[in-house]
Parts: sequence; C-alpha cells; structure tokens
Amino acid sequence: MWTMIQLIHVSKQYDQRPALSDVTLEIDKGEFVLLMGPSGAGKSTLLRMLIGAERPDEGQIFVHQKNVTMLKPSDIPYLRRKVGTVFQDFRLLPKKSVFDNVALPLLVQGISSADIRRKVTEALRAVGVEHKRDQLPAGLSTGEQQRVCIARAIVNGPVVLLADEPTGNLDPALTAEIIELFKLINARGTTVVVATHDPLVMAQVNRRVLTLSQGRLLPEQRVLV
Amino acid sequence: MRTLSYLLRESWVNMRTNRTTTMVAILTTAFTLACVGIFLLLYVNLRAAAGWLQDDIKIMVYLDDRLASDSVVEVEQNLRGDRAVTSLLFISKEQALGEFKAQFPSESHLLDGLGQNPLPASFVVALSPSFRSPDAVKRWAERVRQVAGVSKVDYNQDWIDALAMVIRSIELVAIGIGVILSAAAVTIIANTIRLTLFARRDEIAILRLIGATTSFIRIPYLLEGAVLGALGSALSLVMLKFMYELFRQQMRTTGRFAGLDNLMSFFPPSVCLALIAVGMGLGFAGSFVSIRRFGEAKA
Repeated sequence: MWTMIQLIHVSKQYDQRPALSDVTLEIDKGEFVLLMGPSGAGKSTLLRMLIGAERPDEGQIFVHQKNVTMLKPSDIPYLRRKVGTVFQDFRLLPKKSVFDNVALPLLVQGISSADIRRKVTEALRAVGVEHKRDQLPAGLSTGEQQRVCIARAIVNGPVVLLADEPTGNLDPALTAEIIELFKLINARGTTVVVATHDPLVMAQVNRRVLTLSQGRLLPEQRVLV
Repeated sequence: MRTLSYLLRESWVNMRTNRTTTMVAILTTAFTLACVGIFLLLYVNLRAAAGWLQDDIKIMVYLDDRLASDSVVEVEQNLRGDRAVTSLLFISKEQALGEFKAQFPSESHLLDGLGQNPLPASFVVALSPSFRSPDAVKRWAERVRQVAGVSKVDYNQDWIDALAMVIRSIELVAIGIGVILSAAAVTIIANTIRLTLFARRDEIAILRLIGATTSFIRIPYLLEGAVLGALGSALSLVMLKFMYELFRQQMRTTGRFAGLDNLMSFFPPSVCLALIAVGMGLGFAGSFVSIRRFGEAKA
C-alpha cells in the first residue's frame, strides 16, 4: 500500500484568517476517507489544494507522488486529469446534454470519438443514468444531476475522487444512494475523499474520518469496517 | 478532430448565444475599419494619380550649340545605354524653333531679329519609375551634366518635390488614422470578448477543474475574436465598395471631374483579402488582450 495523498505541515491564510493550520496527513491508495468538519473548517480549501486550485502558504502537498506545491501552472491540468472532482452544486453545463457534460474531461484530452462514446457510456451506466444521456441537466432530478457529476468525475478513470459536500443538496434517501456509488467506485481501486459536515454520511460510510476544526486537524477516529 | 470540432462549435455557440453583442461588435468594427478604408482608398488612388503625374515629368538635356552631329549621336548612345532612361526624344534646333513659333506665335518676331536660331538642340528624357524620386532625379541630372556635349539639364525640381511631399503626407495621415482606428477596433472586439468571458465564467471554471489546458480554454475565444474581426472587415469592404460606386455615379451624373471616375479604382481582390486578414488579426489581438486580462481564462 503506498501513499496517494500526503500533506506535510500545510498552512493557508486568507486575509490574516487561518484557513488551514499546520495540517499533516496521509491517505493511502485505495482508501475511502471522510473529511468532516463544520462550514469554514477548511475542508474545501484542503480539497482545492489537492487539485492545485490553491497554493499553501507553507508546507508540501503530494498527490499520486507529485509535489503539487512545486507544479508549474502548465502542469496543473495534467494533475486534474488524474483527480476527479464532485461538487455540491454539480456544476454541469446547462446547455449541454448529459452525454456532452460527461464527455468534457475526455474532450479536453483530445481522446478519439469512439473512445469517448465507449467511456462515457460506461461511466453513465456505472452511475445508473445511461437512459438520460440525451437530456439537458435541467430535465434531471437533483439526484440524477449528482450522478451525472460523478460520471463526469470518473469517466477519465481517475486515481483519486474528491467530493466536496456531494450530498449537501440531497435528501437522506438520495444521500444513501450517492454514498453507495462512492463505495462502488472505491471498491474498484479509486481513492475517495469526501468532504462533508453531514453526520448521516459518516454513519453510512463507516470508514476513516479526518476532522478539521478551524483549520486544524483533530486527532483521528478510525472506524473499522 | 473531435477536439477541433468542439472548439469551433464553442466559438459558434459563443457568437450565437450573444447575438446582439456579436452583431454590435461586427457593425462597430465594420464602421471603424471603413473609416480606415476610406483613407486607404484615397491614398491608393492619389498615389496612383501621383504616379501618372510623375510619368509626365520630362527632363530636358540641352546640347552644346557647337556640337558636331557625330557627337550628338555619341550623347544619344550614352543616354540610350543608361538603365534609368526609358524613353528618349531628340529635338533639333529647327524643331525647337518650330515648336516655339507654334506655341508663341506673337513672340516669334523676337527670334527673327536675332538672325540665327538661338534655341539649342535637346533630348527629352523620361526616367524609369525607380529613378523618379526627387533624389534620384537630382543625382541623375548631375551625372548627365558631366557628359561631354551636354550644356544643361533642366527639369522641374519644385514640382517633383511637391508631389513627393503630398504623397508622403497622405501616407503619414493614412498610417496615423489607420493605427488609431485599428486600436479602436481592437478595443471594441476586446470588450465583446470580455463580455463573453464574463457570461461564461462558470463554464470556464468547470473546464479548469476537469483538466483543460489554458490553450483549450482560450482557443474558442481567440477564434471568436478572429471571426468578428474578419466579418467586420468584410462588411467594411462591402460598405466601402457601395460608397465608392455611389461616388463614381455621382461624378458621372453631375459631370464634375468628367473622366476622372474612369481613373479611380477600388482595392484589387488580393488587397481585399489582405484587409480581411488584417481584420482577423485585429480581432485575434482584441481577444488576446481580453483573455490575458481575464485571469480565470487560464488553467
């Protein structure tokens, strides 16, 4: 088992207000980790740092053995192609069909049309919305929109899947469905990190929990499956 | 291939989504470039006119009165061998006198009183276009003055200088106005692209997160700017052609400057294509300026 994500003494401030303070952690390849904490605890900042959208003021971040803090701006897109991201607000393009939304990460890599068709169909099938491929996001339920967002995140076959409050807009039944989906993705070998403040998610996931409070990492609770 | 079609489609979607802004940008660019075009057309036509006038400039090479006919032939051969000379016409003393009498019949008695013909024989020389600049004519005249048997070389220096200055002035004005209005066209397109970028900032943010490179994000907007510039430029040419034809028709109907309308000319197709390419370049530059300023449009 080798380390997929590693943070070493990472700190970040916004306008003199600490968002992350001296955070050190390791997440192994194939792990499913919950990043818990109230709003403003620094969860989103941490996830954004993992994809190079934010740079720490201090410390080092490694993802898939790449030092993210040392990456040139031109190398960051290539890191992001290995890391799938899922958002609370789905961030789907409203004027593009489900198929085109999911195809986008493949298009930016210049993958052939035939491969795009195959991979998008697989991803849509994996999240159970294959039958909605030609619809626009507005015609989907919130649960379906989140599934499409997850399909877009996994269509590349990423090594890591990051989800920022993925169930924030979903009811408990849909939350359970989405968590099951993450577990399935994790079971195929993808490292999954879900940031949430929802205790319901913690109860359903029943895996390793990292808790952030006011930018500091609290002592870990490891839950055995 | 699919990526390319995606980028082209995105540019088209951008323009269709912001139809009003796109139309306003094309029209304002067209009007701006049409203003540049008017000066350019004026410059091209005046330059052509100046060229015709310069063609008419003749240099008189007067021969020494005591020159024997053999030596005249030598001077003629000397001039004919000169690569600057395109045409040469010999005017004998008798022909010069005949012309004088024909042109000034009332003054011809003045020469009769002298007893002998005081007018010298001469060559009327026309120079090739590359030797028609004021400096070149001056250098040529000085050189020919040294030739044995040549007594004087005469040409209208003031006229050549004035003509050269007019052409230079028009050129400077055309360049000045061209630069200012081109900058205006760049600004217009830059603002249009900025509006598009702002309207699609969420989409740009998504593209960044899924691993799109900076060039993948920027290309549709650069293409959009180039297309706006090219369309604006093409429309400006249509407007110019319309105005040009209207102007010619007015000249014909009013009868003023009769015959001048036949001497006027519009841009040849190659220049029209070059102007569209320039419009495209300006549009591209406008997009580039906006994208550089819009920090989110990079990975």
